[in-house]
Amino acid sequence: MTSNKKHNHEDAHSHLPSDPELRVKAIETLLLGKGLIDPKTLDELIDTYENKIGPQNGAKVVAKAWVDENYKKRLLKDATAAIRELSYQGRQGENMVVVENTPEVHNIVVCTLCSCYPWPVLGIPPTWYKSDEYRSRTVREPRKVLSEFGVNVDPQIKVKVWDSTAELRYLVLPMRPLGTEDMDENELAKLVTRNSMIGTGLPENAR
Amino acid sequence: MSRLHDMGGRFGDGPIPIPRKKDNKIDNNEPTFKYEWHAKAWAITLAAGGLGEWNIDISRHYRECLPPRDYMNYSYYEKWLAALTNLLIDKELVSMSELKEVINLVEKKDLTLNSDKSTKLDKRTWLAKDVQKTLGWGGPSLRKTNISPIYKINEKVVTVKYSPNEDINGGHTRLPSYVMGREGIIYSYNGSHVFPDKNAHANGENPLPLYTVEFKALELWGVSAENSNDSIYLDLWEPYLKSNNT
Repeated sequence: MTSNKKHNHEDAHSHLPSDPELRVKAIETLLLGKGLIDPKTLDELIDTYENKIGPQNGAKVVAKAWVDENYKKRLLKDATAAIRELSYQGRQGENMVVVENTPEVHNIVVCTLCSCYPWPVLGIPPTWYKSDEYRSRTVREPRKVLSEFGVNVDPQIKVKVWDSTAELRYLVLPMRPLGTEDMDENELAKLVTRNSMIGTGLPENAR
Repeated sequence: MSRLHDMGGRFGDGPIPIPRKKDNKIDNNEPTFKYEWHAKAWAITLAAGGLGEWNIDISRHYRECLPPRDYMNYSYYEKWLAALTNLLIDKELVSMSELKEVINLVEKKDLTLNSDKSTKLDKRTWLAKDVQKTLGWGGPSLRKTNISPIYKINEKVVTVKYSPNEDINGGHTRLPSYVMGREGIIYSYNGSHVFPDKNAHANGENPLPLYTVEFKALELWGVSAENSNDSIYLDLWEPYLKSNNT
């Protein structure tokens, strides 16, 4: 075994300004000045994930699975292909897996090593998902974590924790709320919260 | 031994920092980016990655390799910025003297550097017109290979006891410490995927069979497990596993 090839950056990061806004400014100025980033690319990226890609996409997947049994079967068998049917695909969702909540099973997704998250259907992860607290505790005490989110899982129900250690990205298919038999796909999608698709929440109740 | 990012199962962390609305209900709709600098730090990191000088495993490893004191003190996007800075230097996209010069100017609030609109873009630069296409394609890690997986569904396996990166001491791996040396069951096989332990060190993709492995909560946490029904599932490459037929 060889020793770790020494990085030669001499901890360049330690020279950065203490104010994070100035750190960003310094790196941005440097890269713009060298033509290594296109400023319009930054705007396009931010606009895409602030306005176009987010949990509203995943909500449509879930609502479709609730009303269309064949779609649900395809989704559980090959989630990547089924999600692509709705034109959601690509970066950080190249290999999707959908895990289904049932009366016997409650699923919850975490990434203990970093912050892996299914971008095409849920967007950029919320701060709590990236927190040390969530990353460290969810695999050891998922039920306590869930109770902090207001989800109290009966001891008879099996909790399955999915730690995203590779490039598979997980989406939870929550159970359809009772009393929604008369609702159509669009109405149902509005009940699907982001947290219900991570497993840390439940869909809203029908009014 | 592992690094600080490998925190699954650790004791001592407090309540999850869940944002709440005025009526104390959970806020599912906090903004995508809390501060403008978060958005910028995120977008610059993606755009710089678009230069093609490193892969996702290398960028993860650079974040993990921050000195422990910095890793703990930095917020999420501060880690991204620090790792990006070190990458830019190591990949010789930027020199230390250029970095120090610009830091000096920014700290003096001398922002005139930005006013030069005539900068010619590098030929590697990720252009705005290509953003949607590149995002839509993503960076799949699944590879077609002729490798047959050794393990079968429902087969008992045991994970290796030590960090499985045999090439490099303290090298990158995706086997968390909390499952090392534990018994699990093969839940599914997912095809061959780029192997991070090699790819993070620019030693080739070396795609290998990837399994989803189920671990019982009791096997990982013993008597302190919350509920004997519960299981934890991880996606693990074949070299992380050994057969457990004995």
